[in-house]
Amino acid sequence: MTTVKRWYIGIALFLTMILDGSLAWAFQKIIFHPDFGAACWFSVVGITLIALRNDLNINNMWLALGIGILADMFYFGYLGVYTVAFPLLCFILQKLARFLPETFWFRLIICLVSYLFVSFYVFMMYIIVGTQQPTLSSFLLSIVPSWIVCMLIYFLSYTFWINLIDKYPFLENQRNYF
Amino acid sequence: MLSITVRMRNNRKSPIFIQKLGNDTMSIVSQVVDLPIRLISGGTDSVQELVNAENENDHLKQQVTSLSQTKARNNALEAENVQLKDALKLKETLTDYDIVDASVISRSPDTWSDLLIINKGSQAGLKKNMPVMSGKGVIGRIIEVDATSSKVELITSTDKSANRFSVEASSTNGKKVHGIISVYGKNQLAFTQVVDSSKLKKGTEVYTSGMGGNSPKGLLVGTVTKTTRDSFGLSDVVRIRPAGNLNDASVVSVIKRKVAD
Repeated sequence: MTTVKRWYIGIALFLTMILDGSLAWAFQKIIFHPDFGAACWFSVVGITLIALRNDLNINNMWLALGIGILADMFYFGYLGVYTVAFPLLCFILQKLARFLPETFWFRLIICLVSYLFVSFYVFMMYIIVGTQQPTLSSFLLSIVPSWIVCMLIYFLSYTFWINLIDKYPFLENQRNYF
Repeated sequence: MLSITVRMRNNRKSPIFIQKLGNDTMSIVSQVVDLPIRLISGGTDSVQELVNAENENDHLKQQVTSLSQTKARNNALEAENVQLKDALKLKETLTDYDIVDASVISRSPDTWSDLLIINKGSQAGLKKNMPVMSGKGVIGRIIEVDATSSKVELITSTDKSANRFSVEASSTNGKKVHGIISVYGKNQLAFTQVVDSSKLKKGTEVYTSGMGGNSPKGLLVGTVTKTTRDSFGLSDVVRIRPAGNLNDASVVSVIKRKVAD
């Protein structure tokens, strides 16, 4: 059971990544507008909070890499979008975490910035590789709707992530304090 | 890494074993995660459908009166078609196809990607490049097939390397006009490489021609809305309103062409 507990964060992040696609499909009429759209990333909010709350755990970056590979395979069929964006986001936030205030509202701002960062990275990858041809205006128009979705996700999942990270840090020995 | 894997996705008939295994596992988990979401969204849709029921009922009553006659004529034509094919010793033609119904289980969560994931794969006989329909018309084609799931790229995808549908439409003088489907802005299609578009009236229906080697003939793609010149003023661009249900596809039909490539 102790071994499974060490993986709770990993399992939760995996399910969150699956949930992203399911919710994107369920709310496609609302979030995928021809002129502007919003991204639905519970996983980005999850990775941001994991990196901020547990900034000394290097395993989190490996977790972000694993989830990124799975997300790329499942949603795109090729590697290099989330495979890079997720661990990079985790790495940057872990390095910055010690300088950032640990408050609910400041973490919201960080989540919004993270959302924008991943969004911009995905946009740039599409432009470079050519698998999609999004315009700069579509990127700019997507910022506000994406931030609204991000705020909703943040309010819904903040308590869940913080409790989970505090109780079951990823791959850390649960017997240390017994 | 990105360009190598993109090239692999585009060129390989099916993904590598590990990717297949991962995708199939995730599609199973996705279907489990979808269950409560489907219950909630299904409930909301049911309320909406109830509101629209009266209008639909009136419309359908009008259709029912002519349906039996159309059905009888359709049966007669089908029988005649079989007889004529036998007489000409034709086996399967471009219009012959089978349908595999599938449900959409997921969608790429980023803003720009036009990819759907459906719950049928190679086990159901699906292959790469098969056209996919939802609602009244074509919505895209399969770009990756795993054992129990597949990825569908929507027809509105701006991917430059994506395969395009070869289409045809009947002009005012009764002749067929051929071309291919391109994307014109977000969620707008255009009938390009048309020799003479001036004879295509607004409202003309555009169908697949079966010439591309992947799709059968006669799948509705959309209707002509407007004819303009391209940005260089050299050729005509016929704008098309897609007939398929692009923004709310939950159930799709994959079309398996019978005739060989």
